[in-house]
Amino acid sequence: MPFDFSAAALSVPSPLVAAVSLTAEPVFGPVTNSIVMAVIVCGVITFFVRRAMKNPKLVPDGRQNVVEFVAEFLYSQVEAIVGKKVAPRAFPLLATIFVFVLVNNYFGLLPGVGSIGWMEDHGAHAGHGAHAVAAEHASAEPGVTAESEAESAAGGHGEGHMIPWFRPGSADLNFTLALALVFMIVWIWLTVREVGIWGFIVHTFGPKGGLQGFIKYALLPIFIFVGLIEIVSIIFRPVSLSLRLFGNIFAGETLLHAMGGLMGDLGFGAVPQFFGKILLPLPFYFLELLVGVLQATVFTLLCAVYIQLSTAHDEEHGDHGDHSHDDAAPGHAHAH
Amino acid sequence: MGDIAKVFHVDWPTLIAQVVILLVVFAVLNKFAFGPVTRLLLERRQRIEEAEANFAQSKEKLANASAEAGKVLEGANAQAARLIKEAQDAAAATAEKKRQEAIAEAAAIIAKGREAAAIERDQVFATLKRDFGRLVVETTGKVTGKALTSEDQARINQEAVTQISR
Repeated sequence: MPFDFSAAALSVPSPLVAAVSLTAEPVFGPVTNSIVMAVIVCGVITFFVRRAMKNPKLVPDGRQNVVEFVAEFLYSQVEAIVGKKVAPRAFPLLATIFVFVLVNNYFGLLPGVGSIGWMEDHGAHAGHGAHAVAAEHASAEPGVTAESEAESAAGGHGEGHMIPWFRPGSADLNFTLALALVFMIVWIWLTVREVGIWGFIVHTFGPKGGLQGFIKYALLPIFIFVGLIEIVSIIFRPVSLSLRLFGNIFAGETLLHAMGGLMGDLGFGAVPQFFGKILLPLPFYFLELLVGVLQATVFTLLCAVYIQLSTAHDEEHGDHGDHSHDDAAPGHAHAH
Repeated sequence: MGDIAKVFHVDWPTLIAQVVILLVVFAVLNKFAFGPVTRLLLERRQRIEEAEANFAQSKEKLANASAEAGKVLEGANAQAARLIKEAQDAAAATAEKKRQEAIAEAAAIIAKGREAAAIERDQVFATLKRDFGRLVVETTGKVTGKALTSEDQARINQEAVTQISR
C-alpha cells in the first residue's frame, strides 16, 4: 500500500504539535468553532462591503476606493489568466474565494482565535472523529491505548482538552473542501458552457500538437491514456486544493501554538514562559501573514488556471498545436 | 478517503454549512461589491475608451483645423502680397503719371516762357530795328546834309536793319 491514510499515520504524536486539534470542534450543537469563525468573517465582509458600497460613486472615495482597488486588481489578474471572454463569469467566484480565504486566514491570527475556549474532560470529547478513529487504531496495536492516541490526535495534554470558541476557517478541512467543491461545480458549468461536453472530451482525450495522418492515429492510445490521467487529476483537484490550504493554515496555527508553549514544554518557570509566549511566536506571525495571502493567492490562481485550461478553444488556433496557455497570456485578447 | 474524512472530521452537515456560508459571502460580494464594481469598471473603461476616441477625433479635427488655418493663412498671405504688389504698382504708376504730368507741365511752362521771351525779343528787336533805322536815317541825313527822300530813307533803313540782323 503506497499511501497510508490511517489514523495512526495522520495523527501527530508530539505533544507540542498536538497543541492544536486536527479538526474543528463543536461549540454548540453541531456548530463547530470554524463555522462560528466563518460566520463572523462573512458578517464582517458583509458589513464592510455594505458600508463601502452604500452609495457608489463614479469617482470613488474612502472605503469604496479600497473595494474598487481590490476588485480591479483581482479582475485584471483573473482576466490575464482566463481571458477576456470567460473573465466576467469566472471573476465573482474566484474573487470571493480569494477574499474569503484571505480574511479567514488573517482572522486566524487575531488574539483569542484558537486560544480562548473552555476545558473539556476526555470523556466529553469521546465522540469526536479523531478520537473515534484513534480508538479504532489503538485497538489494533498492542501497547497503544485509545486514550493516549486520541489525546495526541485531538490535542490534549493529559489534564483535559481546551476547545477554542474560534478556529480559523481555513484550518478546517470542511471549509476548504466546501470551497473546492463549489469551485468544481462552477468549473464544470463554465467548461460545459464554453466548450461543451464533446469539446471537453476532445480537449482531454484528443491528439494534441496538430498531428495529422498516420501518426495521429498511431499516438491516439497514448493520448487516451493521458486523458485518463487528466480525468484522475481532475477528480483529485478538490482534494489537493482543500488539503493544501488546510495543511498550510493548520500548520501555521500549530506552529504558533507550539512556539507559544515552547518555554513551558521545556520546563521553564512562569516568567520565561510569559515572555516566551509573547516573543517566540512573534516572528512566525509575520510568516503567517505572508502564508495567509500566499495560500489565498495559490488557491485562487490554481482555480483560475484550471478554468483556463478547460475553457481554452484549441480549434481556433488551427493546426499550430496546443497554444491554449498562450491564449491566456496578459494582453492576449480571446478571438472567440 | 473514508479514513481521511474521519480523521479530519469531514461530515455532511458541517460541509453543507460551510458551502452555505461561502454562497452567502459570494452572494453578498457579488451583489454589493464585485457586481457594482465590475459594472463601474466596465463603465469607466468604456468612458475612457470613448474619451480616447474623442481625443483622437479632436486631435484629428485640430490637425485638420490647423491645416485649414495654414491654408487660409497661406491664402491670406498670398492675397496680402498681391494687394501690396498691386498697391505698389498703382503707386508707381501714379507716381510715373504725376511725374509725366509734371514734366509735361514743366515743358509747357518752359515752352510758354520761351514763346513769351521770343515774342518779347521780337518786339524789342522790332523796336530796336525801327529806332536804329530811324537813327541811321537821321544820322545819314545830318551827315549828308541833304534831305533824304522817302525812298532813301527806306533803303537806308533797310540796309541798317539787314546789318543788325546779321
